[in-house]
Amino acid sequence: MIDHWVGHHHSRLESPMFRLPAALKLGAALVIIVGTVVARPWWVGWFVGAALLLAVTVVLSRIPPLFLLKRLAWLSPLVLSVALVNAVQPAARGSWVVVAVKSTICLLTVTVVANTTPFSKILRVLRRIRVPDLLITTIALMHRYLFVLAEEAERMRRARASRTFTRRRRARWQTLSTVVGQLFVRASERAERIYDAMCARGWK
Amino acid sequence: MNAAIQITNLSYRYHDGTEALRGVSFGIAPGECVGLLGPNGSGKSTLLLHLNGILPEKLDYNGAVQILGQPVTADNIETIRRQVGLVFQDPDDQLFCPTVEEDVAFGPQQSGLSEAETKARVERALAQVGLAEHGRRATHHLSHGEKRRACLAGVLACEPTVLVLDEPTSDLDPRGRREFKALLRQIAATKLIATHDLELVVELCSRAIILDRGSVVADGPVVELLNDEELMLAHGLERPHILRHRHPHGEHQ
Repeated sequence: MIDHWVGHHHSRLESPMFRLPAALKLGAALVIIVGTVVARPWWVGWFVGAALLLAVTVVLSRIPPLFLLKRLAWLSPLVLSVALVNAVQPAARGSWVVVAVKSTICLLTVTVVANTTPFSKILRVLRRIRVPDLLITTIALMHRYLFVLAEEAERMRRARASRTFTRRRRARWQTLSTVVGQLFVRASERAERIYDAMCARGWK
Repeated sequence: MNAAIQITNLSYRYHDGTEALRGVSFGIAPGECVGLLGPNGSGKSTLLLHLNGILPEKLDYNGAVQILGQPVTADNIETIRRQVGLVFQDPDDQLFCPTVEEDVAFGPQQSGLSEAETKARVERALAQVGLAEHGRRATHHLSHGEKRRACLAGVLACEPTVLVLDEPTSDLDPRGRREFKALLRQIAATKLIATHDLELVVELCSRAIILDRGSVVADGPVVELLNDEELMLAHGLERPHILRHRHPHGEHQ
């Protein structure tokens, strides 16, 4: 369940894309994203080129298209709502297409790279290009404990659900707010324990 | 010879006023394997956290805890932490790196070992716990038993002389428990094991210490203590089945 939302697909995948060096994939992704962001709306060639390249990559990566679409749908609401605002503003009419295309290309690029590259390899590339250690440690911890927290949230949700006997929306929201608050408390307590465990092995 | 662990009149109070330890004293000789027993909330985990200076928050106290003859102080805390390996109760607290081998490498890296030496230690520790083939796996994809073993590897890679374990077999299935016990038996270090698993204590330890409400209430040979039904029941424990079915004159195997 948790892996379904935050996990990657590569744990079950072997493909030519998966075997490419992580640095190459990250570099190419950066070029595509920066290029797409700065591209003028009339550089149709760039958009078509990027889309074609992505399509080929998706085929080579053997990620099921349905999985990618679901991931996009999960990530898109924010960008799509920006596109929607643009669509109804008379001054910016027409630019919503550009916003939607740009965001889709960027999100798809990130999704494909994330799902064909193990996270630890991405971290190794970041370390090689001398991203500050503290930032890398923070990213690594965030990724590691995302799963633990998500599982904890899921356990609490189930435990609550098993004793929730009302369908009233208000009660549901109240329950949710308790769960979120509790999750916060548990997360900070766990952070303290993790810090202790790190100190126990000589963290300075 | 210095005791591996020497605790003299150790008391500790949490910020909220809860008195967790009251005048705890005992010593453990090098090479000994001791079981630390007691009901929930008796102060076992708090005591273990004192052994490599995680507690108290300020280490400016009077040498109530000594490791191999050295009092735990702010000045020698790094040496102490290299000597005392602490395995935490929840593996998810301890395994914080993306992959198993990175996590096992954490301790050696912190003590400033070279890359080659770190790698050698990681390989050795993983082989020792039977995870040699799993170094590249993501820590969050391991089973609970594998997580436990990965935690132990992470501590063994620091090559500690004293190994302290907090409920190492809780949440393990019978096979996991059996394998973990066999693993612990092979490790030569001085061991202090806080646990509710009384069979483990009978099988691995020669001596047991019972802690209740922050004080040591009994300290002696395992068989003698654990056979004392009255004592066990009085402190939230019970006489283990493994002792009930033993011949009274037979040596335990």
